[in-house]
Amino acid sequence: MRACLLIMMGIVVGAGCAAGPQTRRNAFGNPASPTRSAGVGRAKELTSTVTPPSDANSPGESALDELEAELTQKQKQVSVPDPLEPVNRFMFGVNDVVYFWVLKPVLRGYVYAVSPEARTGLRNFFHNLATPARLVNCILQGKNAAADVELQRFAINTVVGALGLGDPARDRWELKPAEEDLGQTLAVYGLGDGFYLVWPLLGPSTLRDSVGMLGDAFLDPVRYLQPETLSIGVSATDTTNSMSFRLGEYESLKAATVDPYIAMRDAYLQYRKRQIQNEGGSADPNSLRP
Amino acid sequence: MEMAVRRDSLTARSCIGWVILVLLVLGQHVGAKEKRPKDAKEQPAGTAASRVQEPNDPNDLWWSRWDVRVKDPNNPMELLTAKWNGVLKVLQAKELEQKLKEKIIDRIVSPMFDFPLMGQLALGRTHWPKLDAAQREKFIRLFVTRLKALYLEKTALYTNEKFVLKPGVPKKNMIQIPMTLISEGKEIVILYKLHKLDEQSKSKALGHWRIYDVEIEGVSILLTYRSQFDDILRRGSVQDLLAQLEKPPSK
Repeated sequence: MRACLLIMMGIVVGAGCAAGPQTRRNAFGNPASPTRSAGVGRAKELTSTVTPPSDANSPGESALDELEAELTQKQKQVSVPDPLEPVNRFMFGVNDVVYFWVLKPVLRGYVYAVSPEARTGLRNFFHNLATPARLVNCILQGKNAAADVELQRFAINTVVGALGLGDPARDRWELKPAEEDLGQTLAVYGLGDGFYLVWPLLGPSTLRDSVGMLGDAFLDPVRYLQPETLSIGVSATDTTNSMSFRLGEYESLKAATVDPYIAMRDAYLQYRKRQIQNEGGSADPNSLRP
Repeated sequence: MEMAVRRDSLTARSCIGWVILVLLVLGQHVGAKEKRPKDAKEQPAGTAASRVQEPNDPNDLWWSRWDVRVKDPNNPMELLTAKWNGVLKVLQAKELEQKLKEKIIDRIVSPMFDFPLMGQLALGRTHWPKLDAAQREKFIRLFVTRLKALYLEKTALYTNEKFVLKPGVPKKNMIQIPMTLISEGKEIVILYKLHKLDEQSKSKALGHWRIYDVEIEGVSILLTYRSQFDDILRRGSVQDLLAQLEKPPSK
């Protein structure tokens, strides 16, 4: 029965990848996900990467070695085993077909029928509604400042932002959400990725992230709506709506890559790695401001 | 009672079904509509031509309007700011057709990249030596085409964006500059990684900084290609890789 919801959800992940695979969290979350100021953090980290003492005479060679070392190191950090590759590739193909034959036409109709303002409002609304999962995961990770911000955001957006349709907390108070989820929490607790997985209709994931996704679902208020059909309808609306912002991204990914399966896998793993390493979240005083 | 609930949920289900069906039909309709005017436009050339300044001008005068001049190109912050302002100007120019927009943006942006280095790094130390000179040349050419598809095709999606650059962290001959792109209320964090060219290869207009990798939301473009090429070369030969690169992008 949840199948139709899953179809919708799946392609979020399937579709959201040109600019880094926004995970299914974003199906519930604000695709703005503006907490990422990790650019600086990453830069710092790279500064500490090994600089091999090169005996090459030409400066060009040693510079190249340095860049090569940097890349190799990062590649090692993000690589996750993929023992189920044949199955995963098959599922990737299934998702691809579903996207082009079902989802894309539906999304096109949706974008045509619903104004951008209404879509943004809905996106904010559902993001606000998904506060519990983010809050709990902030607390579980010991990110008290971020948890505090989540609470403030919820209060402000619900009251001032008309039940969360607007995001005055971000626009006026510069409070940015922490896009935390259970997959990240488990990673912070030291659980490894396990192996890479592509779920039919749900898209890229890993063993750990799948467990996280399952756990987070319990904190999704929409899940508890009665009757079940209503719950599914609302979830499907949420997912369709957030995906309507990503229309065209999957196509762009396919156009630019040689092997979209590998590209998607790599992008997903890099994206998750960064999310997990992203310490501090919205509490980061260096948050980039528009 | 139970029967009533069941019937309710049945009607609700069929409601969802109908909504999806309507959207599907609407989508097909919109898709068909989008295709038609494109075909139609090609016939009355007059209207299209009047909107676009064709870049046939031998003196390249049309280009001077879009050209980006950087005061101090050796300052990477200034370089990126000037270039991005130039790109935004093109994106907002309503009179330009998509094809020409792409052409202009290509001309503004592409010189900033160190494509040969990117190609070499994308294959890495394990695979780069396997290619002979001719193959390297061909590989770089094909690789650049793919890379450009990544940033040029997307320009159709953007019109009204803002960006904020933050001073980068220099490290010897490298620098990483974070940028936030704000588009439709979404913030996308992009990290530019530049390296310094040696004295002979620096140019007057562009200085000595060149981009060798871009991270979008933490996803390194270079690394994504590296994984793909690595996978292909592990299973097959250099010829296989070139053949795959040569194929038109999968649609």
